[in-house]
Amino acid sequence: MADGDEPLRCRGMRDLLPGEMARYRQVEESFARVCGEWGYSEIRTPTIEFLHLFTATGTLSPQMLDRTYTFLDWDGWSGERVVLRPDATIPAARLYVENLPPGQIARFFYTQNVFRFSTGEESREDWQCGVELIGDLALAGDVELILLGRAVLERLGLEGLEVGLSHAGLVRTVLAAAGLDAAAQVTCYDRLLDGDLTALAEIEAELPDLKAPLHLLFDTEGGKAAYLANLQAAFLSAIPGMAKPLDDLEKICATLDRLGCDYQVQTTLVRNFEYYTGPVFEFRAGGRRVGSGGRYDDLMALVGGKGVPASGFALVVKELVSRSGPSPATGGDEAHWVVRPAGDDPDLLAAAFAAATRLRKDGKRTSFSAPSGEGGRWELTVGRQEGRLTYQLRDQRTGKTTSHGSPEDALIAAEATPDD
Amino acid sequence: MIRLALPAGDLRGPLGDLLRRAGLPVDEYAQGSRSYVVRAAPEDGIRLRVFREKDIPIQIALGNYDLGICGLAWVEDLIQRYPSDAVVPVRDLGLGYSSVYVAAAEGDSLAGWAGRPGLRIVSEFPNLAEAFARRLRLPAYRVFPVWGAAEVYPPEDADLAVIAAKDEDEVRSQGLVPAHRLLEGSAWLVANRDSLAGNDLSAVLEPLLALRGGGDGPPALSLPVASAVGRMPSGERSSAGRKDVVRLALPDGHQQKHTAAALAAAGLRISDYDGETAAPRPRAEMPGLEVKVIRPQDMPQQVALGHFDLAISGRDWLRDHRYQFPASPVEEAVDLGVGRYSIAAVVSEDSPARNLEEALGQWQKEGRGTVRVASEYVNIADHCARSRHLPRYKVIPISGASEGFVPEDAEVLIEGTETGATLAANRLKVIERIFESTTCLIAHQGPVSDRRRRLQAEVVEMLRRSAAGGRA
Repeated sequence: MADGDEPLRCRGMRDLLPGEMARYRQVEESFARVCGEWGYSEIRTPTIEFLHLFTATGTLSPQMLDRTYTFLDWDGWSGERVVLRPDATIPAARLYVENLPPGQIARFFYTQNVFRFSTGEESREDWQCGVELIGDLALAGDVELILLGRAVLERLGLEGLEVGLSHAGLVRTVLAAAGLDAAAQVTCYDRLLDGDLTALAEIEAELPDLKAPLHLLFDTEGGKAAYLANLQAAFLSAIPGMAKPLDDLEKICATLDRLGCDYQVQTTLVRNFEYYTGPVFEFRAGGRRVGSGGRYDDLMALVGGKGVPASGFALVVKELVSRSGPSPATGGDEAHWVVRPAGDDPDLLAAAFAAATRLRKDGKRTSFSAPSGEGGRWELTVGRQEGRLTYQLRDQRTGKTTSHGSPEDALIAAEATPDD
Repeated sequence: MIRLALPAGDLRGPLGDLLRRAGLPVDEYAQGSRSYVVRAAPEDGIRLRVFREKDIPIQIALGNYDLGICGLAWVEDLIQRYPSDAVVPVRDLGLGYSSVYVAAAEGDSLAGWAGRPGLRIVSEFPNLAEAFARRLRLPAYRVFPVWGAAEVYPPEDADLAVIAAKDEDEVRSQGLVPAHRLLEGSAWLVANRDSLAGNDLSAVLEPLLALRGGGDGPPALSLPVASAVGRMPSGERSSAGRKDVVRLALPDGHQQKHTAAALAAAGLRISDYDGETAAPRPRAEMPGLEVKVIRPQDMPQQVALGHFDLAISGRDWLRDHRYQFPASPVEEAVDLGVGRYSIAAVVSEDSPARNLEEALGQWQKEGRGTVRVASEYVNIADHCARSRHLPRYKVIPISGASEGFVPEDAEVLIEGTETGATLAANRLKVIERIFESTTCLIAHQGPVSDRRRRLQAEVVEMLRRSAAGGRA
């Protein structure tokens, strides 16, 4: 029998108290503003989706699928399982497929939560600021997303911004050239990500025409456009399939160079090997990853639509909040009005509520308070004297009280009072 | 006190011998006693309890028991669903060797299955089946957990069955073809992680770890890999095409006797199905009536799915299903009026409570933060707990051997009881009767073809007349 001291909040779930919520809201609003300026429109998808959207090859990795919250709905007698959204891109793709004509260019943004099981106290619900750019915009789309991501992070005041750049096709063509089938490619790439460099030797053994060691590709960070030229010289003759990914990357890099947008080419930053099909990128702030994205041209077809190219990114709200400077002013007690009735008869209560409404109409942050409550900067007490309503205005800073015949008069008196 | 959970069933004999050889005080268990609460002398410092094998990993995970012994498949099934759970496999005891196979009615390669959308997989090991489906990247698959008889579902009612069998020959002897072996192993000693870390379990661990024999490799699930990345080819749903027949599911187990008698009384002659024996696919004399024997617990969902038009099950299982899926298209067609028992809330005889309210008050007074409700009827138990406004509660799913759960492993049991004699023998008492269950004919509400409707109506009418006559 469990004792009565068990926590009431589910493990891995977080409360956001007012201070932190204000910071979250600030991040969301800045993100939404920048996206709006760039011509993106907000969408919201349901929390519950069919599981099968996520299980087919090329959507979520098996490791991620093992962490989903799936269950049978109340009408799930047919055995059709549903899932708490473990990823926000796949539902956005479904939304596109079900609601828009195939091929129409769509620019979506959203702030949504995703649910993934984690052990212990690690978070199981994470908020993402995501962007999807659907439609055949080729490499211009990838560049647009990189610049948009940077613009959001700059607007939030994040410091030490870096952009990492890669291409899912680079790794895939090398592993395919070594004769690995799709499943073996995933396993081998996982080994490389884990730092198992013996995997490199195994791949090299399968590529006798290779003129340069593979660690040039897998073990080099911080490359620029010149690095791509070096990769072409080193690998193209043995692995001709690398031409397209290298060409894509070269064009993106050249465009970013002209725009003065700094970046680093890093081939191993592809995390979800099955998901992405083209250029991928990562945003870092102060050396820490705050978001990532890339091209996933197969996804629309996988969720049941026609093949439409698409790319997107997601920023991790928790990381943005922790790096985006001090909490914004919430209107605070300084500007705060408290209206209270001097008694509880209906006339006084109604007059006090009407006074509060009048103040709010004027843009004043106003709380209604019971007679014994705490006050803000201005306290307006609604009472009655000789059968007439009176409005006692008290400046909490000076303790000075004045009497007025209407809320409007009290407001004029408050505004005439110097702030200091 | 070390709490040790031991399995009922086939393992009992060989495991009893092994434990006795290890010098553990298990005479009553080893002698094959039918009792589920095995008395061990307190001076031995061990409390034994016998469970259905399937329930042992759950009891260990809950921390109700420190150590347990059961087949590896049940442990792996739990770990697959709850990987961070508190169950630690400690040692292979080398007993009751068995494998878990993915099997189909007809031979087919895994690559062939991988491309098929809407594949139906049936299993007593639903989490192993899920892991298999996920790893194979099956599009829009369905896993149907069943209480038993998974092997009879393919090909009509499932495409694949994930079943336990000694070897491939045993799979074939059930009319199936093994497609992939997911797991092989024998009975394991398993421990609760916290108990292992904090309690002195050496009195049991030491003699068992000192035994010779048994495997030594860590248990490993052998999952296939998706053979191709990219869009899966769309294919036909593999369910056997519906014939112009009415399909009737008949129960095995306790309800078999009542059912055979009711069918005979109604004049529905079915060979290979009587009070004692049941073939998996008995033959009905009535033209157009096709019969299969499955577990009564699984019938409501199978009827809802349209795999069967009719089934003879208990009202208890129909209600359990409807509580989980209120919109399910399955209904009670005929109350056969036999196999009558109450579904009731049961507590320890020592409790002064006369009803559930008093029991709740008592538990609250004793400062119990969470009420543990054990039941085979998970959804009835959950519904009961919700509708009676229980405070924090846990429903502990059990697959049988329920008499020993209260009071040590649960506060209340939601249980079927006929005369109350078994409860009294186990020092338990009913504090609330929830509803009366009888054996019923259940039917799918959906539209059927004219011919099938006529045939279905005929079967329903025969059983209705017979049941009404029996009650008159």
